Formats: sequence, structure tokens, C-alpha cells
Amino acid sequence: MNTSPIDSWEGAEAYFTFADKPAVMMLFLLIAVAITFGTIIVAAVHEKHAYNNH
Amino acid sequence: MEQELAALTERLAALESSTAMSGTINSEIFYWWCTALMIAIHAGFLAYEMGASRVKNVLASGIKNILAFAFMVPTFYFFGWYIYLSFYNGLLPADDASGLPWELSMGPNLADNATGIFWAAFTLFAATTASIFSGAVIERIQTAGFLILAILLGSVVWILGGAWGWHPTGWLTVKFGYHDVGAAGVVHMVAGFFALGVLLNLGPRVGKFNEDGSANAIFAHNVPFTITGLMLIIVGFFGFLGGCIIYMPGEQWINIYGQPTTLSAFAFNTLMGMAGGIIGAWVKTRDPFWMMSGALIGIFAAASGLDVYYPPVAFALGTFGGFVVPMVAVWLEKMGIDDAVGAFPVHGIGGLIGVVSCGIFAAGYPNVDGMPPVSLWGQIVGAVTMAVLGFVPGYVASYILKVFGLLRVPDHIQEKGLDIVKVPVSAYPETYTPAPVNVATPAAAGTPAE
Repeated sequence: MNTSPIDSWEGAEAYFTFADKPAVMMLFLLIAVAITFGTIIVAAVHEKHAYNNH
Repeated sequence: MEQELAALTERLAALESSTAMSGTINSEIFYWWCTALMIAIHAGFLAYEMGASRVKNVLASGIKNILAFAFMVPTFYFFGWYIYLSFYNGLLPADDASGLPWELSMGPNLADNATGIFWAAFTLFAATTASIFSGAVIERIQTAGFLILAILLGSVVWILGGAWGWHPTGWLTVKFGYHDVGAAGVVHMVAGFFALGVLLNLGPRVGKFNEDGSANAIFAHNVPFTITGLMLIIVGFFGFLGGCIIYMPGEQWINIYGQPTTLSAFAFNTLMGMAGGIIGAWVKTRDPFWMMSGALIGIFAAASGLDVYYPPVAFALGTFGGFVVPMVAVWLEKMGIDDAVGAFPVHGIGGLIGVVSCGIFAAGYPNVDGMPPVSLWGQIVGAVTMAVLGFVPGYVASYILKVFGLLRVPDHIQEKGLDIVKVPVSAYPETYTPAPVNVATPAAAGTPAE
């Protein structure tokens, strides 16, 4: 499996291995956003649960 | 002869290229280590907050602070950098908006040695603002609500202030000649006033105030840890302030507004302001907690003009700030506001002194590209802008969180302690024997020095 967009450094500038297409970049960006803000929702739920148990 | 000339030209071109690349890489290295040093600010705030908490809340305070750091990094990547680069005209993005997370500069790029390292330094500035706010709200804020507020402050609000007044073409710079090289306003005032806005909705820790409005001292469980943390913050500020000036390979340093400066100027005035702050706070309080807070106040009081002051001026400003700010902490407590670590007085008022005094002690200092020189009016406009920019979002967002029950930890949980409720480990699993308590507290800071 080859996930590198380049096979030499001649003329290479930006190179994002695996995420070398806009759709894949956007997918991973959305995953990162979902992790970041989803975790806050999870934290809120966990906290309410902890307070209710005490 | 022609062949020799061609060979010489070729060698000269190679030498120029090599020198330019060395300069580029030296610049990268400089900001890399500034960023690393700034992590010491976060480590210091971590120690400071945990030390200032009671034993029952030590780890919950630590978790909150660590999470602020963790959430600042991705959110500053998602939108913080974009706000800085694009909103320098006001509340709408400029025509040449940039910094979006899908741009090719926002990742490995052999043609761009600058974006990543500047993004990293600014991300650590953002983490500093979140840490400033974090200390004020210890022992009674919910984690989720705290994270939302920290992201709002660190990745939106302060960086908007940065775009306006800490940017070569920010509207405060272009229209008013606003001068704030060490970020007294854009970081410290914004964070301090944001914290004040949140504190009004969050309320005090259970047991802080009596029914008649009088205050009880809530003692830090580990004052030496708190003081050491403050010293670590000072160390980190050398990275912070180094990151505030621009390395120009092959040329003189410039500040963030494009005016020529030197790192030496920053060294003189940072140390002199810091020393003055310690002395001023010592004279006023005799309290080591306030002495080290005074060191920070001294730096902030001189921060706006670190590039231009005669060092004894920075020392005098630091001394004034270190003497006055503890009195603001006492006043705040009398107003019924529980700022657990003095974040508003130290950062909000310390920063205010820094911004306004620059309009007095650096008035008339010239600007580049025909922009107005430094003036008292420009500094006052900047100070008011930073205060409002910090306070209003802090107050409004915390009010909304309060309405939705996401802001304050219930009182019965506060009484029990946050660690036992939501942290799976114990800070001090073996027997902890409280030591006899001395009387020196921030509450006593306003009393005349002996």
C-alpha cells in the first residue's frame, strides 16, 4: 500500500501522506473536529452522571 | 577570465542561497525554543492551580488545566490561526483571508518554514490565556463548561484582540498607533477581564463568603508548590516575550508592528519590570505568593513598551503595579467576587497599567508606513477595546452555560470535594496531616506593610 503523494523530493512542496486529496483532508479534518467537540459533550454527560451518583 | 568570472558568480549565488537558508532555519529554531519555553508557562500554571486548591480538589484542578492545553491546540488549528490572519479589520474577514486548516501551508510543506512555527507559538499564547482564566475558577466550575469557555477565550476572543492590536495591519495599530509589544492588553487584559465576566456568573466557592458578606480565607493546600509554579511561569515568559518579536534573517529584529528593536531591549526591561514587581508586592504584602505574582505584574506593567523604555522606567512601573494590584484583589473580595488566584487583578489590572502607561512613557514613538505614533489616546482606546473584548464574551457565554446548568458544580459536590467524585486516583493516598496555618492570605494584602 502506497500512501505517499510523492516518490522523490525534486520540486516537492506540500505533501500530506494519505491525506493527499481534498476529500480525504476534509474527512480527517471533520474527524478531528468531531473528536474535539464530541469529547466535550461526553465530558458533560460524564459529569452529570458523577454528580447524580453522589 | 570569463570562465573564472562565471565560476565566481556561481559560487557567490551558492553562498547567498546557503546564507539565506541558514537564516531561515535559525529563525525556525528560535521560535521552536520559544514555544518549548512557553510550555513552562503552562507547567507553572498547573503547579500554581494545584497548589492553590484544597487537598480535596487538587487533581480536578490539574485535569482542568491540562485539558485547557489539549483543547487549545486543535481549536487553534481549526479556527484560531484563521482569525488572527483574517480579522485584522474588525469582525469580518479581510479580502486576503488565510489560515484555514485545509490550506497547503497548514502541514508539512518544504516551501514554507514559517507557518507551522508561528502557528505553534501563537497556540502557546492561546494556552496562556486559557491558563490565566483557569486559575480564577478552580474548585467549582464544571469541566465541560470550562472547556467551552477556555476555547472561546483561547481560540477566538484573545486572538481577535491579537488581530486588531498585535498585527502589523490591525485596525488598532493602523488607526490609533496602538503599541503593545509584550501583549499586556491582547493577552493579559483580555484574559483577566474574560475571567471577571465568568466569575460574576459562576459565583464563589462554597464557604468563601458568609451571609453578612464577609469573606473567609480559603487556604492553598501547598503554598511552596504555588510559589514554585509562579517562578516557572516567569521562566516561560522569556519564551513568550521572545516569541513577541520577529526574527529577520540578515537584518535587525523588528517588533510585531514592524518597528526595529532588539532582544536586548526586551531583556533589560523584562528583568527590571519583574524585579520592581516583586519589590512592590513585598513592600505591600510581605506575602511570598503576592511577591511572585508581583513578578508577573511587573512584567505586564512594562510589557507594552518593552522595546522602548529606559529600564528604570520599567522598574518603576513594575514596582507601582506590584504595590497597587494586591489592593485590587482586596477590593474584588469586598465586592463578593471570589477570584481564587487573583487572575483579574494580576492580569487584567496589571495589563491595564502596562497598556495605559505606554501612552505616557512612549508617547510620540514613531510608527512605520505612515501609521500614527504611540499616544495616550491610542493606548486608552486599545485598553477599553481589550477590556470590553474580554469581559463581554466571558459574561455572556458563562451566563448561557449557567442557564443550561453547565457552569457551576453543585454545592453539595463542592463540599464533598471534586477529586473523590470524578477523579479515579488520589493526590495524596497516604495519610495527609495538615500543618498549622499562618494568617498571611490575599485577604490580608490590603493591610499596611509592617
